[in-house]
Amino acid sequence: MKRLYFIGIFALLLIATIFTWSKSYYAEQEEAYVILPTESGSTFIPSEKGVFERSKFANDYEAMDAHFKGGRSLDTYYNNRAFHGAPPSIPHPVVNDFKVGDKSCLKCHENGGYVKKYNAYTPVVPHPEKVNCRQCHVVENTNGLFKPVKSGSFPKPAIGNAAFEGGPPIIPHQIQMHENCLACHAGPSAPVEIRVTHPERSNCRQCHVLNNQEMTDIGNFIRKK
Amino acid sequence: MVQNGIDRRSFVKKMAAAAAMTAAAAMFPGIIFASEQLENLPNGGDLDWKKGPCRFCGVGCGILVGIDKGKAVAVKGDPNSAVNKGLLCVKGYHQTMCIQSKDRLTHALVKKNGTYVQTPINEALDIVANKMKQTIEAHGKDAVAMYTSGQSTIPEGYVASKLMKGAIGTNNLDCNARLCMASAVTGFLTTFGADEPMGCYEDIDYADYFITWGNNMAEMHPVLFSRMLEQKNKRGAKIIDFATRTTRSSMASDKSILFEPQTDLAVANAICYEIINNGWVNKSFVEKHCNFSKGLTNIGYGTEDKFNFNDQPAGINFEEYKKFLEDYTPEIVAKYSKVSVMDIKYLANIYGNPNNRVVSYWCMGMNQHTRGTWMNNLVYNIHLLTGKISQPGNGPFSLTGQPSACGTAREVGTFTHKLPKGVVMNPKNRELAAKIWKVPVENIPSKPTYHATEMFRAVDRGDIKFIWTQVTNPLVSLPKTSRYRPGMEKDSCFVVVSDVFPTPTSDVADVILPASWHIEKSGLYGNSERRTQHWNKMVDGPGETMDDAWMTIEVAKRMGYGELFPYSKENHVDEIYNEYRQFHEGEKHGMAPLEVLKKESGVIWPYVNGKSTQWRFNAKYDPACDNGEDFHFYGKPDGRAVIWQRPFEPAAESPDEEYAFWLNTGRVIEHWHTGSMTRRIPVLHKAMPNAYVELHPEDAIKLGINNRDMVKVTSRRGSCTLPASINERGLPTKGQVFVPFFDEDLLINDVTLDAFCPISKEPDYKKCAVKIEKV
Repeated sequence: MKRLYFIGIFALLLIATIFTWSKSYYAEQEEAYVILPTESGSTFIPSEKGVFERSKFANDYEAMDAHFKGGRSLDTYYNNRAFHGAPPSIPHPVVNDFKVGDKSCLKCHENGGYVKKYNAYTPVVPHPEKVNCRQCHVVENTNGLFKPVKSGSFPKPAIGNAAFEGGPPIIPHQIQMHENCLACHAGPSAPVEIRVTHPERSNCRQCHVLNNQEMTDIGNFIRKK
Repeated sequence: MVQNGIDRRSFVKKMAAAAAMTAAAAMFPGIIFASEQLENLPNGGDLDWKKGPCRFCGVGCGILVGIDKGKAVAVKGDPNSAVNKGLLCVKGYHQTMCIQSKDRLTHALVKKNGTYVQTPINEALDIVANKMKQTIEAHGKDAVAMYTSGQSTIPEGYVASKLMKGAIGTNNLDCNARLCMASAVTGFLTTFGADEPMGCYEDIDYADYFITWGNNMAEMHPVLFSRMLEQKNKRGAKIIDFATRTTRSSMASDKSILFEPQTDLAVANAICYEIINNGWVNKSFVEKHCNFSKGLTNIGYGTEDKFNFNDQPAGINFEEYKKFLEDYTPEIVAKYSKVSVMDIKYLANIYGNPNNRVVSYWCMGMNQHTRGTWMNNLVYNIHLLTGKISQPGNGPFSLTGQPSACGTAREVGTFTHKLPKGVVMNPKNRELAAKIWKVPVENIPSKPTYHATEMFRAVDRGDIKFIWTQVTNPLVSLPKTSRYRPGMEKDSCFVVVSDVFPTPTSDVADVILPASWHIEKSGLYGNSERRTQHWNKMVDGPGETMDDAWMTIEVAKRMGYGELFPYSKENHVDEIYNEYRQFHEGEKHGMAPLEVLKKESGVIWPYVNGKSTQWRFNAKYDPACDNGEDFHFYGKPDGRAVIWQRPFEPAAESPDEEYAFWLNTGRVIEHWHTGSMTRRIPVLHKAMPNAYVELHPEDAIKLGINNRDMVKVTSRRGSCTLPASINERGLPTKGQVFVPFFDEDLLINDVTLDAFCPISKEPDYKKCAVKIEKV
């Protein structure tokens, strides 16, 4: 009887040991990670940062001719991008490789303006707070390729995509790092096809909302009940 | 031939466009005019554009709906409307798309043995009338109730009031405007004795400073906010955002000042303290036009059933008021409001500087407040002490949430204590109503019964045995739905729901009546700036849909009140408005005649001798002022506005150890109220498919919560599990979370508290204690 009791206890201990060991073994297999709230891990709500950044220039933009035909078109806009949303490459020589942001690129690209040398208007950066420009934007130093690649086109957001006759067009692209609409959609450097006719109304998202189709198509509202 | 046709059409269209633009530009200098809208008109058709007000918020933008072959195919801003001058918001532009929803209610549904059976509407109305009659016979008049809306049209509200108060003889009529504007009303009545703002939107064109009190206008009143931004850019006007949450409005403002929930009471008093202490009081204005008064304190929160409170105002003098304010020095208030002494002084300085023109804006932050009436009083105090009121660019302006919260709920008076003119407690007001309604004056009871929250408590208790809701969705919009949903599900109450779409409220109905949507009926709305707007029916509704006013009339007829409702089906809207207009005759509230309303894009009342009164109480603009002074607050018997002594009192429920966070609820730009319309508009649903809970990043780190993690928000009433949102649409202060309430699947009102302002009986949706857990 006493022996049975001891065997019983040892059996229980053995089971407990196996259980505890296996639990800790599997726990150990999990990858280590540190939880940090992400800044823009959103699937559908765009950040509000910088929305009104360029609205102080709204009246200057308004004074410009929205139908001014010079400057960039969407074709030339896409010319120095690998695909829609990719950081554009730098199409001009860069003077000094040792300076960042506000000391070099932002001098021209923060507010734009006409450059006689290139007979062009400087594009305005939508995210001037990020000053390590060359982290993403590189100079094209050669025309050749290392190995030939298949050339192909990439899908571009549609133009004139109002949901309703005469309605305000829906934003057809994600706006992460492009929350500041006026940077690309207003002023003489904006591609003529996407230049807004009413830059003075700086609260863009009052009328224009995301369609979120680039991430996931959300579909229509269907009651659960 | 075909070619010619197209050329002619496009030529005519261009000519029309040019003419319209010239006309608009001449009428409104500095107009915002969307020329590209004209360019983008649909090809191959001359649309028939019909004018009306927007279906959604209380701004009351003018819209033009393009009709092609009997269908609404386009919406644009009405350039003739002085409200929006041709601009709308994303909801407005897409509004008519909701009627294409596949789950539209097209026929009456009657619950038989637990399932809904499609029933001819005449039979359904018979059932409603019989049930109402039987209930009155068996349990008395006060066993039946109607719950209507700040989205009801003026005729809809008017016939509901006439049926309940005039014909049946019960004050069991209240509306959802109790949940949003009641504190504004009691604020106006206690301070000025007359409801609704004294100024108008044109103030925006003159003000130097806009101070928004707990009001995210960029999302909730976007068209007005755009008008403010325009003035900021053009004239350098400044926007100061005073709030408990950093929002899109804060981003666009010149300064954002954050405060601890509920302490707005103290900060407002501190501003008054500073104004007096620095000698910024407009002495002659205060001496001539103001009285000082105090009311009861420690007035409770109304969380218990049958709560009752009556304030007892008592006059005080300036010295007593000054003494009272000594508890509210910026240094003392800064400690618990978390607003710095510098910021309090900064705000006081803006108001106090006699050279500044200042407009204060607020909406639900101040109204949905357990001391909402007080808070309204306190902002009026600031404007009265400095004399910045009733002048272009100077004044307090209470914004409205619903398109006709002013026009219908407040002016027609679909509250338990109200009549189209005055209140049921006043014998003279009852006599006037009885005379116009052609009913014996004894019919109208003199005692108010249930305000909204108490009405649904009475349903839960079994005191109300029949309730009819129109144009509203209380089981998403009431606070503490965790109590009121089971309450309405009980067999003790017969529930009739009139709506356009199925909602959680229609889910508990015994009879569902299919209502016409906005443009499928004619009607009138009244917006925040006292503007009455008329529209004609533009398209036919599907199936057996019927407008709410006519449903009420049909039921009244079936109950034997036919002779009190002698309106024709074709023309009832006009007939009812003409009858209603008699209530407001005179210089203080005269309403424009129909022929003017049909022509204009809205007309502001008082409409006197063919002219709108834009700034009331100011003798320069308001013909009703007759005291020979510059200003006359004629709402009060002695012509003086009241400066109220109102202290700081804590919220009904504050965070503690177990429930450590404040819960704040509200709206987002994409959705309007309970989302029953806007979620059925694909553009808006895709942009904002579900609700979420906003956290402060530091709180999120502490709780190990990432964006999109599911988070359980629990209060003493109930819980709701939603995805987390950090650094996205808004940023609540530390220790606070925010949840939008539009989502019927993520029902945050199961969590909220039904505490209300004892004076206005308006619940506080902005403050209760919750705990937050990652799940």
